Amino acid sequence: MTLRSVKTPLLEVSGLCTTFGAGDTSVPAVRDVGFTINKGEILGLVGESGSGKSVTLRSVLGLSRRYGRTTGSALWRGENLVTLPESDMRRIRGGEIAMIFQEPMTSLNPLLTVGVQIDETLKAHTDMSAGERKKRAIEMLDVVGIPAAGSRLFEYPHQFSGGMRQRVMIAIALAARPKLLLADEPTTALDVTIQAQILDLILSLAKDFDMGVILVTHDLGVVAQTCEQVAVMYAGRIVEQGSVRSVLREPRHPYTVGLMRSVPQNVPPRTPLYSIPGTPPSLLSLPDGCAFAARCPQRTAGCETGRPELETLKGGRSVACFNRVEAKGGAAA
Amino acid sequence: MSEAVLEIRDVSLAFKGKRSLLDVLSNTPVKNVNALNGVSLDLRQGETLGVVGESGCGKSTLARCIVRLHEPNGGSVHFHGMDVFASHERGDRTYNRRVQMMFQDPYSSLNPRMTTGQILSEALRVHDMCPEDDVPARLANLMDLVQLPGDALEKYPHEFSGGQRQRIAIARALAVEPEVLIADELVSALDVSVQAQIVNLLLDLQDRLGLTILFVAHDLRLVRHVSNRVAVIYLGRIVEIGDSETLFASPSHPYSQALLSAAPSLDPDDKGRKIHLEGELPSPLDIPPGCPFHVRCRHKSPKCTTEQPKLRPIAGRGSVACHHAEEIENV
Ligand SMILES: Nc1ncnc2c1ncn2[C@@H]1O[C@H](COP(=O)(O)OP(=O)(O)O)[C@@H](O)[C@H]1O
Ligand SMILES: Nc1ncnc2c1ncn2[C@@H]1O[C@H](COP(=O)(O)OP(=O)(O)O)[C@@H](O)[C@H]1O
Ligand code: SF4
Ligand SMILES: [Mg+2]
Ligand SMILES: [Mg+2]
Repeated sequence: MTLRSVKTPLLEVSGLCTTFGAGDTSVPAVRDVGFTINKGEILGLVGESGSGKSVTLRSVLGLSRRYGRTTGSALWRGENLVTLPESDMRRIRGGEIAMIFQEPMTSLNPLLTVGVQIDETLKAHTDMSAGERKKRAIEMLDVVGIPAAGSRLFEYPHQFSGGMRQRVMIAIALAARPKLLLADEPTTALDVTIQAQILDLILSLAKDFDMGVILVTHDLGVVAQTCEQVAVMYAGRIVEQGSVRSVLREPRHPYTVGLMRSVPQNVPPRTPLYSIPGTPPSLLSLPDGCAFAARCPQRTAGCETGRPELETLKGGRSVACFNRVEAKGGAAA
Repeated sequence: MSEAVLEIRDVSLAFKGKRSLLDVLSNTPVKNVNALNGVSLDLRQGETLGVVGESGCGKSTLARCIVRLHEPNGGSVHFHGMDVFASHERGDRTYNRRVQMMFQDPYSSLNPRMTTGQILSEALRVHDMCPEDDVPARLANLMDLVQLPGDALEKYPHEFSGGQRQRIAIARALAVEPEVLIADELVSALDVSVQAQIVNLLLDLQDRLGLTILFVAHDLRLVRHVSNRVAVIYLGRIVEIGDSETLFASPSHPYSQALLSAAPSLDPDDKGRKIHLEGELPSPLDIPPGCPFHVRCRHKSPKCTTEQPKLRPIAGRGSVACHHAEEIENV
């Protein structure tokens, strides 16, 4: 096993922006997002709905430029995915970089058997022979925990239950042994029991194949149990980033603090839950200052006029706030 | 212990199975979906009873039976002693008024072509809740109750956020002055912060209006927070029911133990005592004999494969449907 301290960057995203709309309406869905994923590392991406998590993943894969404009860079093995021509992107998508979605039926073809779908992925992204592909297909269904894998190759997606369908999608996504997996709320629609199994599976695959993962979720518990790093998004920007342990233990951005506090854990039963006042700003009319200012308990006059940049503190934590919440242990990040 | 408002006894419901062409050709008998298989519980005056279990276990079917959207094949539901499915009570609109259901997706239950004001006045009129002259004052009062601004009355459902729409659904339920609210995944589609607001509202209203609530949800943390008691359902049967704090702190049934241990903790170092469930949830078309959980259970004995365990009180805990409840360690 490699030492965790020796990190090899896999994907380096910086200044990523995606804006939808044309003419006088412009929706800046992702603004100046940056992060690095190392081999075998799982990065959690959290935030309320509409904060830009899905668009971030789709932008990395070049899927957002179909409807909007993506700028910035996503460096992948020396190439910038943001400007890479679609024909080259197609080679990478589903091959070296795979994506799984919340709703498996959006990426599964209802008319093809599961075996055929895995086979097509392998044909497109590997040089394996027909025999090897068949073997790999069975192996993948087996890896994701589908019983009687050999016989289920001939079944159609609708013949699988919700949790099994999610696994089928993961099996297809992972068949060509991607180096990076982009997982968009892969367990949100599933029961906690199945969620635990799928997350364990993603964890062990990351470890066994040294695969990097970006895991989008809105469940901080999922982040705590699965990820090493976490980035918190608000209104299209990353407002806090760092190791999961440090961010969840000592959130320093007021928004992260609010998110943590609204989870009903360690709160006396049936007492009022904390809730961040107000609602996120409309992307059509973002304030000049900090996007969180209107809801922020730490707000000062400067917050409404100037925009806080994401600043890296000692210990690797980054926070975009003029009035960072004090760390319990003093200045430690 | 307070009085039972609703007494649910041995309620069963099997949905008629669909016969596929293949079934016809191969002469396979049609199988029924056994959604509820003898559910008994009391809903007590003023309490919140949480209902949890994996999807497909029958939570919504139970909720819908209670509000008479489904008629059970067996068993009974009594409301203050009145048999709500007895033929002479079927037309009784008072029951429909006093027990109100709220759904996960208010989009599908709020008429998109009516303003909030129209939706609420309609509810008031259907049940003759107040003289026409008093309607505007009552509407204003309902907006206050659910903490929406007065101008919300002039707006249409699509003009609101998800959380605000749930407030309207709650206002509509409250308009008819119910005693019991049946909340089926009321906040499941909302962001945590909005969830918290709706849950706070619900707890506050319960307190002020003396409401009794059946709270169906799959978010275990949330159910633990709002409930006085909790029922765990597996394949259309209650496998454990009891005081919420006791049940969450130390579940007794092997299924409750596995279910609760799967909820991820917010503490990265608390990996929990993960109990892995083997295999998949059996289909309600083919419920295993004996204890329906035995195919996935770590504690099964030969008895479990043949004899169905009854829900029975266990000293110091709630009621548990497991042959080995006494021997199995609480986790
Ligand atoms: N194709 C699109 N055209 C216009 N706006 C879009 C499009 N896709 C997403 N958006 C907007 O971008 C914002 C971020 O969306 P998304 O990334 O899906 O949020 P999240 O995944 O965090 O819930 C939302 O306001 C959404 O409405
Ligand atoms: N109207 C219906 N017709 C046929 N089967 C149904 C119907 N409603 C629910 N079911 C089935 O009954 C079982 C219980 O469903 P449900 O009560 O919705 O579960 P839950 O709410 O716990 O997820 C499931 O197998 C479901 O597919
Ligand atoms: S009755 Fe048997 S199979 Fe069922 S839960 Fe108890 S020990 Fe497990
Ligand atoms: Mg999304
Ligand atoms: Mg349901």
